Amino acid sequence: MRHRFLSLLLASAVLFLASISSRADELSVYTTNYPLQYFAERIAGDHAGVVFPAPADVDPASWMPDRETIAAYQKADLILLNGATYEKWVSKVSLPRSRMVDTSRGFRDRYITMEENVTHTHGAGGEHAHSNVAFTTWLDFTLAVEQAKAVAKALIWKKPGEKATFEKNLTALERDLVALDGELRKIAARTPSRPLVGSHPVYQYLARRYGLNLKSVHWEPDERPNEAQWRELKGLLKDHPARHIVWEGEPLGDIRTELGNLGLQSIVFIPCGNRPVEGDFLQVMRMNILNLDGAL
Amino acid sequence: MTDSLYVAWQYIRYNKVKTATLVACITLIGFLPLVLERLLRESERQLAARAATTPLVVGAKGSALDLVMSTLYFGDEMPERITMKAARQVTDSDLAIAIPLYVRFKARDFPIVGTTLDYFDFRGLQVSRGRQLAILGECVLGATAANRLGLGVGDSLVSSPENLFDLAGVYPLKMQVVGILHRTHTSDDLAVFVDLKTAWVIEGLGHGHEDLTRTRDQSVILKRTEGNVAATAKLMHFQEITAENMDSFHFHGDTTVYPATAVIAVPNDAKSGTILRGRYLGSGGEYQIVVPEEVIDSLLQNIFRIKNVIEAVILIVGFATILAIVLVFSLSLRLRQREIETIFKLGCSRLTTVRLLSAEVGIILVGSGVLCLALLGAVAPFENELVRSLIIR
Repeated sequence: MRHRFLSLLLASAVLFLASISSRADELSVYTTNYPLQYFAERIAGDHAGVVFPAPADVDPASWMPDRETIAAYQKADLILLNGATYEKWVSKVSLPRSRMVDTSRGFRDRYITMEENVTHTHGAGGEHAHSNVAFTTWLDFTLAVEQAKAVAKALIWKKPGEKATFEKNLTALERDLVALDGELRKIAARTPSRPLVGSHPVYQYLARRYGLNLKSVHWEPDERPNEAQWRELKGLLKDHPARHIVWEGEPLGDIRTELGNLGLQSIVFIPCGNRPVEGDFLQVMRMNILNLDGAL
Repeated sequence: MTDSLYVAWQYIRYNKVKTATLVACITLIGFLPLVLERLLRESERQLAARAATTPLVVGAKGSALDLVMSTLYFGDEMPERITMKAARQVTDSDLAIAIPLYVRFKARDFPIVGTTLDYFDFRGLQVSRGRQLAILGECVLGATAANRLGLGVGDSLVSSPENLFDLAGVYPLKMQVVGILHRTHTSDDLAVFVDLKTAWVIEGLGHGHEDLTRTRDQSVILKRTEGNVAATAKLMHFQEITAENMDSFHFHGDTTVYPATAVIAVPNDAKSGTILRGRYLGSGGEYQIVVPEEVIDSLLQNIFRIKNVIEAVILIVGFATILAIVLVFSLSLRLRQREIETIFKLGCSRLTTVRLLSAEVGIILVGSGVLCLALLGAVAPFENELVRSLIIR
């Protein structure tokens, strides 16, 4: 009895020590949006603890972390950035450059410049501020693959001993993203020039990649648009007679109805910049594709 | 013997001025070459240690010495500026980590060093009080800078204008002191560390102001078009970055062309360092890459050549001084001829007389020796500071 108890105690101690040791080997990876967190978790598996610390109810593109969160980023082994001016707070904080990876840097020649933003300069010939670059790069799934590859490269740099594992996981993720890309292309190819309206200017890369004839207004799904916004939409519809409006979240019921009266059917296509309430990135994108498929 | 010493001591006390002069001359002859030797050894140690821990520095073509002195010791000579493109080149090579530095501005005579957090890891700098840099507008002080400025965590420090004739050129920025570093006995103790982006804000490349697209003050608007609003010079920029105005801070243009003074390149390994150096060889590129140890070795060789000349001069002057002292003693003996005859007539043997005179000389020599050692001991704790103020900066 006593012998069995001692054996059990010893086995527990060994297991405990092993778990501490594996946690000590684990990379600490911080990301600036949820898609990167998803990619890093898929690729790194158990070899990294991936953290995306923004609260679930904020838009990461306009989020500013507090000092404790900044300190946590500073301690991370790897900081994965989306790039394309997504995380504006990075230009205002101090982070270790050697551990930062801009996952979209490899395709910066393919960034989309937005025409509709108003910029400012100082003097007649000054340089513009507020780079008007679109940043939801992951909605073009071929670019998402490139970002995933950048994540894998960074993880291999940090843990070269796990290269084979990371590459295997990347291949699986790439397969899923390519499948999404294929499905969307098929759906978009059915009605190539059908006009669409985006409720918010976040679908630039999606529109470019899949050839969607999409123009955007600047609405929020949980806010009632004002008179000026309705007028803007009606003005847009005169030259761009869309029958569908794409939302980044479920719109208010009465707005759906009013839009229906204008002949606009609402489609929800969640960009998934922050973690979803249910499911994961892949599941949200599949749902988005289903929504688009059903409507178009 | 004791009697001889007593009489010699009484004689020395009676002739204070002459004794003091002789002691001062002999002390100086001994002190000068010894202190010179110690200061130069200390400067060699400091310069070499700092250079040895800095593998490679990338900077503008020109004086390698200015580049190294500015990068390692934050000297007053600012090298030609480079752009962040240089740092990008190092990073993109995948051969080294790039640590950009922008050492241009000062805060009350202390250099403001704009850099990234990697610099602190690279130099092993730890915060002893407060915390590390987190957001724009914050600064972390070296131990000596904090002490001399009388600043602590929570205080503020304003950057100094570059010159009084261009007060509007560089915007003074009120920075918050968030941390004080542990003493390292290097140039880092005298620095005011800020994030590289904060240094750019001081330069005026980044700033904060009211939202021009929403302002009601038309006098700040020069021209408004559909896609852009141009502001006049009347538009006031914030002089301090706070939680309330942080959102308004932004940078204009492409940050790849923003300035730096140097990039410290930390190669992944020796082979990467060699390959990286090879890429900068030849006259084609815009930048040069230097090995600080080699530059400092060359500087030290020059310093020691000068030291040899100075020592030769001291030797000659010392020899002349000794001759003068010997002359003083012999003239003194001649003047004391009657005194010596009196001592002899009182019953002292020649040997005793010689012992008396030798005791006087001995006391003077021992006194000079003790004074020399005391002076060396007094200088020793300040060697570090003296070297930095007299030789390095």
